[in-house]
Amino acid sequence: MTRRPRIAVVPPRYGDDVIGGAEAVLREMAEGLVMRGWEVEALTTCARNHYTWENELPEGMSVEGGVTVRRFPTVVSGDMAVKHELEAALLAGAHLDITAQQTWANAGLRVPGLFDHLLDHGEEYGAVIFAPYMFWTTYACAPLVSERAVLMPCLHDEPYARLDIYAPLFRGAADIWFLSEPERDAAERLFGSLPRHAVIGSGIHPPEAYDVDGFRTRSGVTGRFVLYAGRREGGKGWEVLLEQLDHIFARAALPFSVVTMGVGPVHPPPAMAGRVVDLGLLPAGEMPGAFAAAAAYLQPSLMESFSRTIMEAWLAGTVVIGNGLSSVVRWHCERSGGGLLYRDEAELQACLEFVADQPEVAARLASRGRDYVLSHYRWPAVLDTVEARLMELATCAS
Amino acid sequence: MVSPYAPIRDGIAAYALQTVRQLRRQGNEVDAVSPVPSAARYHLRLTGWRGPLALARMTPEYDRVIVQFHPDMFYPRGCLPAERVAVSLGLALALRRSRRSEVVVHEIDYNRLVAPLQRRAFRTFLDAAGTITVHTKTERARLARALGLPMSRIGVREHNADFEAGTHHDRSSARASLGIPSDAHVFLCIGFLQPHKGFDRALRAFAALRSAASRLYVVGSVRVDEPEYALHAAELRALAEATPGAELRNGYLTDELFDRWIVAADTVVLPYRLIWSSGVMGRAALLHRPVIASNVGGLRDQAPEGTVLVDSDAELLAAMRHAVGGDPGAALPAGPAAAAAPRFRAPAGATAEAILSLVRARASEIRQGSGLPDLGERAGRPSEDRLVALAPLQPPTAGRSGSRLRRDLKRAVARLTRWEIDPLVQHVNALHAAVLEALSGDRSGDSGHG
Repeated sequence: MTRRPRIAVVPPRYGDDVIGGAEAVLREMAEGLVMRGWEVEALTTCARNHYTWENELPEGMSVEGGVTVRRFPTVVSGDMAVKHELEAALLAGAHLDITAQQTWANAGLRVPGLFDHLLDHGEEYGAVIFAPYMFWTTYACAPLVSERAVLMPCLHDEPYARLDIYAPLFRGAADIWFLSEPERDAAERLFGSLPRHAVIGSGIHPPEAYDVDGFRTRSGVTGRFVLYAGRREGGKGWEVLLEQLDHIFARAALPFSVVTMGVGPVHPPPAMAGRVVDLGLLPAGEMPGAFAAAAAYLQPSLMESFSRTIMEAWLAGTVVIGNGLSSVVRWHCERSGGGLLYRDEAELQACLEFVADQPEVAARLASRGRDYVLSHYRWPAVLDTVEARLMELATCAS
Repeated sequence: MVSPYAPIRDGIAAYALQTVRQLRRQGNEVDAVSPVPSAARYHLRLTGWRGPLALARMTPEYDRVIVQFHPDMFYPRGCLPAERVAVSLGLALALRRSRRSEVVVHEIDYNRLVAPLQRRAFRTFLDAAGTITVHTKTERARLARALGLPMSRIGVREHNADFEAGTHHDRSSARASLGIPSDAHVFLCIGFLQPHKGFDRALRAFAALRSAASRLYVVGSVRVDEPEYALHAAELRALAEATPGAELRNGYLTDELFDRWIVAADTVVLPYRLIWSSGVMGRAALLHRPVIASNVGGLRDQAPEGTVLVDSDAELLAAMRHAVGGDPGAALPAGPAAAAAPRFRAPAGATAEAILSLVRARASEIRQGSGLPDLGERAGRPSEDRLVALAPLQPPTAGRSGSRLRRDLKRAVARLTRWEIDPLVQHVNALHAAVLEALSGDRSGDSGHG
């Protein structure tokens, strides 16, 4: 029988206070594997903040949740003005030649120490799991260990995914783990025939308790509210959502305030300034209460590969109002019957009116969502799949 | 290690990475210094006279300095002779300040060494190096002759001395993973798609081979988006499409995929028009794959035993024929690249319309014979995909870079010109939506015809 090899996970940031779906999945997976007796290392940066990549955490080795964490300092350099210009061109649909793509990818965050570590020690790991695909930590480092590289891309169909520099990651990885079927379908559309791959999903830990009263007392949030959690960024649909809500609240009587928790600037439109509550980065123990207290959870993002926050809302018994133009959000909502989908502002308004008028029916929808999460996205089942694939990979490598 | 460096895709970068790996394994602490941001710990803009001076400030800090030399890394394109001299002298200074130095010469532009002052300055640079290394004896002789250096000053180190196999695939699994038939004799041309690589010569020879039992794969990507290279890639695509059994796989490769392709091949074909030495030949030797190569540059010296060197296209064809056992299997009808027989028999007085219908009929045959997608499918779908990927055009913004004054100025200009720009933006977005709608309509119409 093949011995369990040492495993590495490579997220750009690591820690229980890091906001990011890919980072959370890798951390929980690493901790779950350790609990099952695997030796797991997290190879990551000293950064917490993915806007500045400032080295906030000490360089070197530590043990967190049973996982050996090796942190390497980030280097932020290169011509950022050029990077921003290239990025703007890319997002506007321009084709970047290969030189420009490499310039774009190598300007900004780099982690030479991590690269050197994998150059020296990559072969000592049975598998090295990289996520997400577009960060330098994956783009530059995965090719060093191609034959033991597991790519967990967290892919969205976005302009970055069409860059030539990313194609070898998808064609050359030893294994690719997708979080959902729509994500896999997007990869097949973008890269054609894929090597060994599987949809492994992601596990969600059901919280031990939902302290709604405690959340309201400590946060000062009163009344009915809709919730958005995560990165407040244009790419996540936050700005469009605020604009739509601004229009909707101007023309419809709705009993909701908008509560948000996460990172990034909020920038509410002037007319909504008193209606938007920014809780910032909440402690992990406080989040379940926030999800449970909300009348509905809003998921405006098109760019989802899994959408953990939808699962967290459903687990808390809160109905999801999701962007129906996102294939992943639509897929979860249609499979579960636990969410309301909107494709434009009018549909969003109608969804909100429904939740306002019929909260009990909305709650019944949410309970279907909860059943869906509990039957599809429990860590024990996900880890069974992960372990089987790691063992297969180890057998191939040996 | 002063060199282009990963993850930049470049032959010298890949070479340097392997050397760094070996040096680190031997217990050395190695820092890479690269001309552009990369995985190197440091990056220095090395081109121009300032580059070597910046390097000279770093070199005393190290016990050993290795420069992977290619002229493009140091000499700006089209620079004046005086600057070339300054660069060479700056490099000499950088090496003189180091405790121990080695220059690995990958290429030299000998045309630039005709002028005595430039030659003398370049010689000064190499004189400052503790060790000078090239990859073949031919290169050594040529370099020694050009600069009047004693042969003993120049070492020869095999191109693949630090190479390690980058894949554990065997031929069968490599073929399965790459979608290559398991039973064909596979010829491979691999590397950047550049005219001097001569992959077009291999395609023409393969077309003339007319072997049903063989395949030729041309694998690589355009290194720099310059018109010359783009045209060459288009030419290769056209040749491959017109040659039964040939295929162009245009794409960016990791080192592992590069080696996997070589392992999948039966014969690696290097029909170079010009080269100093070949990393591909080194990798093929490492992975025990026979090579057919042009007899140019230092390839004769570099070639391992069993390599077939050719001096002409006829010899290339003969070598490929020999590689498939002299019997190319069931002969295929010649493709256009072989230009064996006329394919059109239009009457002398035929109208353009009539000729066009013949051309279309022939194109249809080619598609059927080669498995190429239907014209509508090929022409329509990718463009639609790209159109869908286009984000709506936004009016220009002041951006995040530059001084506050500059951003304020940009904002003011944007406000003043908004009445002109906004209708254009709206119009472009409306056109985008209309084209998508039209394409969508065409596709649903196509499917209706079954």
